[in-house]
Parts: sequence; C-alpha cells; structure tokens
Amino acid sequence: MAEPIDCAVLAAVGVRKTYSFGAVPVEVLRGADLAVKPGEWVAVLGSSGSGKSTLLHLMGGLDRPDVNGGEIRFRGSPIAVTHGHRLDTYRNRDIGFVYQFYHLLPELNVLENAMLPAMVGNWLPRAFSGARGLRRAEARQSSIALLESFGLGHRMHHRPAQLSGGERQRVAIARALANAPTVLLADEPTGNLDVKTGAGILDLLSERHARGLTIVMVTHDPAVAQRADRMVKLTDGRVEAEGVVR
Amino acid sequence: MGHSVYAALLSNRYLTSRLIPFIAIAAVALCVALVVTVVSVMTGFLNMLKDSGRLVVGDVIVSSGIGGMPYSDEFVADLKGLPSVQGATPLIDTIGMLRMPYPSGNQKEIVHVQVWAVDPLSFATVTDYAQDLYWRPPADAAAAATMSPDDPRRSLSPSILQDGLTLTQSRTGTPGITLGMHVSVGNARQRDGSYLPRYNWFMPGMDVTLTVVPISGSGTLSQPREHTFPIVNELQTGIYEIDKNRIYIPLKEGQRLLRMDDAPLFDLNAEPDAEGNYPIIGKAPSRVTKILVRARAGTNANDLREAVDARYADFSSRIKADPTRRAKMPEFVSILTWEQQLRDLITPVEKEREMMRVLFSLIYLVCAGLILSIFWAIVVEKTRDIGILRSIGASRGGVLWIFLRYGLIIGVTGSCLGVLLAWGVIRNINAIHEAIGSDAPPAIWIGTFVFAGGCAVGLGRAIWIGRLLSILLWLLGTSVLTLIATALALHHGTLIWDPSVYYFTIVPDQVDWTTAWTTALGGVLFSVIGAAIPAAKAADIDPVEALRYG
Repeated sequence: MAEPIDCAVLAAVGVRKTYSFGAVPVEVLRGADLAVKPGEWVAVLGSSGSGKSTLLHLMGGLDRPDVNGGEIRFRGSPIAVTHGHRLDTYRNRDIGFVYQFYHLLPELNVLENAMLPAMVGNWLPRAFSGARGLRRAEARQSSIALLESFGLGHRMHHRPAQLSGGERQRVAIARALANAPTVLLADEPTGNLDVKTGAGILDLLSERHARGLTIVMVTHDPAVAQRADRMVKLTDGRVEAEGVVR
Repeated sequence: MGHSVYAALLSNRYLTSRLIPFIAIAAVALCVALVVTVVSVMTGFLNMLKDSGRLVVGDVIVSSGIGGMPYSDEFVADLKGLPSVQGATPLIDTIGMLRMPYPSGNQKEIVHVQVWAVDPLSFATVTDYAQDLYWRPPADAAAAATMSPDDPRRSLSPSILQDGLTLTQSRTGTPGITLGMHVSVGNARQRDGSYLPRYNWFMPGMDVTLTVVPISGSGTLSQPREHTFPIVNELQTGIYEIDKNRIYIPLKEGQRLLRMDDAPLFDLNAEPDAEGNYPIIGKAPSRVTKILVRARAGTNANDLREAVDARYADFSSRIKADPTRRAKMPEFVSILTWEQQLRDLITPVEKEREMMRVLFSLIYLVCAGLILSIFWAIVVEKTRDIGILRSIGASRGGVLWIFLRYGLIIGVTGSCLGVLLAWGVIRNINAIHEAIGSDAPPAIWIGTFVFAGGCAVGLGRAIWIGRLLSILLWLLGTSVLTLIATALALHHGTLIWDPSVYYFTIVPDQVDWTTAWTTALGGVLFSVIGAAIPAAKAADIDPVEALRYG
C-alpha cells in the first residue's frame, strides 16, 4: 500500500537515473516511487544492481535524478532545486547516512568522527545552522552521550583501525545521528557484519526508531528487512512490491 | 572563514599522520635556502666590489681628454667650497711601461701599467689610499702573532707606511712609487689573504723604471721619457683588475715626466734674442687629466655629480671670460659617478647575480612539481574521505580549503625553515668554507666507517631473514655511508673560493633579506599553486563517485 506523497517526510516521485558506462547508457532507476512517512522505518529490498543504493543516494541528495526524471521531495519540497549551501545543509542537518563499509575517516579518532557533521555544520551559514559557539560545545556533549549510550565510552580516543566491525558501525551511526537528522539513510548497515553483531546494530536502529527516527534502509537480506515497519522491493529500477511487516 | 574547524582538524591530521608532507616541507625549505644563500652571497660580492670601487675612485670623477685641464688647483679649491664635497684631488691618468727589478740578469721583465700620478695627501682624503697600503708593521703583538713566521711585515720599519703615504722614500728623500699588489709577480697570495715574497722578490726598497710618452694637448707624441723610482709600498684596493695594473707616483713627477707641469710661455711671433730665445710673455699652468671628488656622508653620488657639473660649467666660463688666462679649458670633460665610471667592473657581476637568481629560481618549478605530485597522490588516496565529507554536508569550498590549507602550511613552514637554514648557512659560511677546505677530522670518517659497518651487519641479518625491502634499505645505507666515509678519508681540503686564487679573504656572510622574503613568498606561492590544482580536482569529485572509490 503506497503512502500518500503529501504525508511523506521524504519521497521519491517517478525517479529515473541513467549511468553511462563508456558509450553504453544503463538506466538504473526507471521511475521509482517511494514515500516515507514521518517516524516510519522502510526497508528497500532488491537484488544486486536493482538500483537500491542509487535510490538511497538520490534521496540523500548525493546525486540527482536525470533531467525530467522525477524528483526527490523532502517535507513536500523538491530537493533537486536546492543548490550549494542549501543542499549541503540538507545533507548535514536533515539526513544521516550509514554505509555498509562504515566510511569513517581513518585519521580522526572515534569522538572526532562522531562530531564531524556537527563540525561541518558549524561553519555552514548561520541562517541554516544557528549560533556557532553554543552548538560546538553542545555537539561535543551530545556526541559523547551518544557514544556512551552505544557502549563506546571507552573507545572515544581510539582510531577506527583499532575498532571491531560492529564498533565501527556504531561510530558510523553515532556520526549519522550527530546533528539529530529527520531521516537516517542506511545502505546495507549489517552487510559487512556477522549475524550477531548485525543484530546488535539493528537493535540500536530499532531503539532510535522507537524514539521517532525515520529510517530508510537498503538491504538484500529479507531477515534484516523484517525489522522494518514496511518493506518495498525494487525490481528493474521500479518499486515493484510493497508489504507491511508490522 | 567558517571552514576552519574541520578543515584545520583534517589538514593537520593529514600533515602529521604520514611522512610525505615532511618530504615536501624539506623540498620547499631546501629550494628556498638554496636561492637565498646563492643570491645573498652574490649580493655580498657585488656590494664588496661596489664598496671597494667607490673607495678607489671617490664618488664623482671629472675627466678631461689626454691633453689635460689647467687651473686644476683652483677648480679643486672651488669644489671644496661646495657643501656636499668632503674632498677633491687632482691626478694624471696615463699609461706607461714599467721595468721590473726581476728576474736577475740584464733582461728584466717589462709590464704595461696604468699610471696614476697623484697628490698623495689629498688623494688619501678622497680614496682609501691610506688604508689600502699593504705593507705596514703589525699594529701590536697580537696582530703579529697571527702572521706567518715568514711574513715580511713582522720586520718592517714603521717608516714604510709613511713612505707610501707621501710617495717619498724617507731614507733618501727621493720621490717613490707604489705598485698595485699584483703588478709584481713577487707577491704570492696565501690562503689567509696575506702575501709572502716569491723567490725573495720583496718589492719595497727595490727600484723600477717607468717609461711614459708625453702627449701634447693637440695629441702629438713626444719622445718617451723614463724615470727610476724606488718602490715605497704596495697597494691592495680589493679590485683585482686595478691592483694588477695600476701604479702610483707623485703628481709633480708625473707632470714633469709627461710635460704637463707649468712652463714659461714664449711669444713665438717676436724676434728671438741673441741666444735664440723667444721672449717670455707668461706662464702655462700645469695640467691634470682627472679630478676625483669625495661626497660628504649622506650625499648621493648623482646629486654630487650634478653639483660638480654645474660648478665646472661656471668655472670654465669664468676662465674663458678672463683675458689674462692664456690656457684654454678643455671643450669637453666627462663627469661621472663612481658607478658609471666602474660599470665595466660592476655590470658583469650584477648580470651574473641576476642570471644566478633566474637559474636557481627555476628550482621553484621543480619544487612546485614535487608538491603537485605529492598532493595528487594525497587527493587520490583521500578520494573516499572527500566523498564522506560531502555526504555529511561539507561544501566544495570546505574540501578545497582542507587541501589549500595543507599546501599553505607546507609552503609557509618550508619557506620559514628555508630562510632559517639559509641564515644559518650564510652566517657560518666562512666556517663551513674553512671546514670544506680542510682535511676531514679522522674521528668523523672513522665514525662513518663504523656506521657503514653497522649497516653491513644489518644487511647480513636482512639477507638471512630474506626481506627484500630490508635488504634494499640496508644495502643502500651501507653503500652510501661507505662512499661518504671513503670520500671523507680521501678528502684533503678543497677551498671553493681559495683566497690565494680569488680576490677576497672572506665569503660575504650577510643575508640579503629582501631576496630572502621574496624567495620565501615565492615558496609559499608555488606550494599553494601546487596544492590548488589537485585541491580543485578534489572539490569537483562527485560525492557518489568518491564514495565508490577504494
């Protein structure tokens, strides 16, 4: 059952995306529609190459749909028309990303990695990010609190290379949540972890979701998708099937 | 500048977490140090040359043609009335042949010389003549102790300096001659810049015969005339070209030999008397060919030149208007500043310095290329980080700033270290020069051999373990240290600027700060340019592409 777009906090509307591999254009998304309600956890399932990650990148403002290839709307407004600082602010404040391979910066320690979005947000124009000084101290405190709540209090000054996979993913989630985003976009967050560690990560997401966090999670594993409120399946670049999990 | 927080954090971490930025800093530092050292030393040489030059010829030189100018005493007195003039002195500048007192036997060596007939007392007020006289007894026992046991100065009588200053041999009261230090081949220059007589040819006290050819005002040559002078002293001006060619005799002697002294003026239109002499109707004044003028401290040579020029025009028209003055002032005199006069000496050194500056500045390009490739490698390595940063809201400007800041830090640190290094080298250049010129102390080369031996042990261990990189590094260490130790052991001291060959005893050790700071600024600029290209590339990377990377 499709959610009405008007109620959605984040929506993909008829999104098309074509990549060129040399001279050969490959249409990855062929008019994908997806509307995510506030506070909802949506799992996007699909086989390898079905366009799951591409859809997530488009929804996160990392990439743009083709010209006349639909649009991504956040709180009802298309994000494709925003440019420069507004799009940077969208990625910084409204969205949090979690990746399969954690993507932590190896030169920074755990706390610095977790604070990075807050530090980046600190210099965004004040019109978008508010007063700086206050935010910096607050950001540090909230990142420390978040890391402690994730059981990483003793790892604060360690480098990513010194952490286990599960710990790294928890740092990545803490980073994604640093600026208290509206939507968390997770690309195979357990894909690189063993089942037990993966379950721990999903518990963590569940707990955040229970506090009202909207989550869009891409996975190829139906068992992982079971944790979501709703599953959608991408086939041949379109959302083919939707199912309510709970 | 809101990029500061995370850009500073990241660029600092990128700087400190790897070796390559330190290599870049070292490269910038070495380039800057090289340019600053070379140009500073060259500027020092140029200044030394200019200082010596000015002290040899005064600030402004008035030259007439070979016929000379009359009434020079009056004009000199006139010039001394100018507030900007400290002193003025007349002289004759001509060429001559000098029969040297060597070798033994009848055949003596003859050299051609530039003859300056000077009034030594006033000449010493305009030039550094008094200070440049080489032969003088040591000032005190401490000065004597620094001299070689064979140094003739140890046993000189104090009168030798006085004889040089007056161009008169006090013992006999005869007019004397002072030779440029390198006119005679008897003076062998030592490493400390002092001179020892070669084959016992110690010049002072020996006689030389000077031959000159008088030339009339109309340019006709007369019979050559010669005179034998005792050598009273020798002169070292600091400019080899001058000391190789120039000799100094008293002005009166010069005027007499060259027939430029004052003489009775005969009326050739009248009937000669019974003995064939024409009646005397006046006196032709003595002539000189040059007047050197020394400026008062704080007066610019160009300003003085203009003042002297105006004064000469005034003086010359006054003489012309006076019917009692029978001798004519020359139609044309050249009035030049010392820089104009010595341009043949100064210009080549100036050109050399500029050429050095250009050539060594090309090293900058190497430096910029090095930084560019280092940054390129860093940007490629950090592509995924850039994607991550963009995905959490970092702008292109923010990413650009991380890498530009990185380049700026490398440039500023490298340039400052370079200036510091250059300062250290230049201030100690004479000690370094001396060390290069001496044998390496055995402790150093034996120590180096010991280190090489240590590396050889490491090499053996690496071969035993079978690690290729270790083998390579130990092999490199062993070979380089062995080579250095061998070179040090065989090194017997090569002075780059051997004072027995080159004409200065110390290498200039003053930093040319204008060059230092412009070079440092150039170093920063090239580092930033080298960083800007990959930085812009980094900022342009599509975030999705960047995240896929690596």
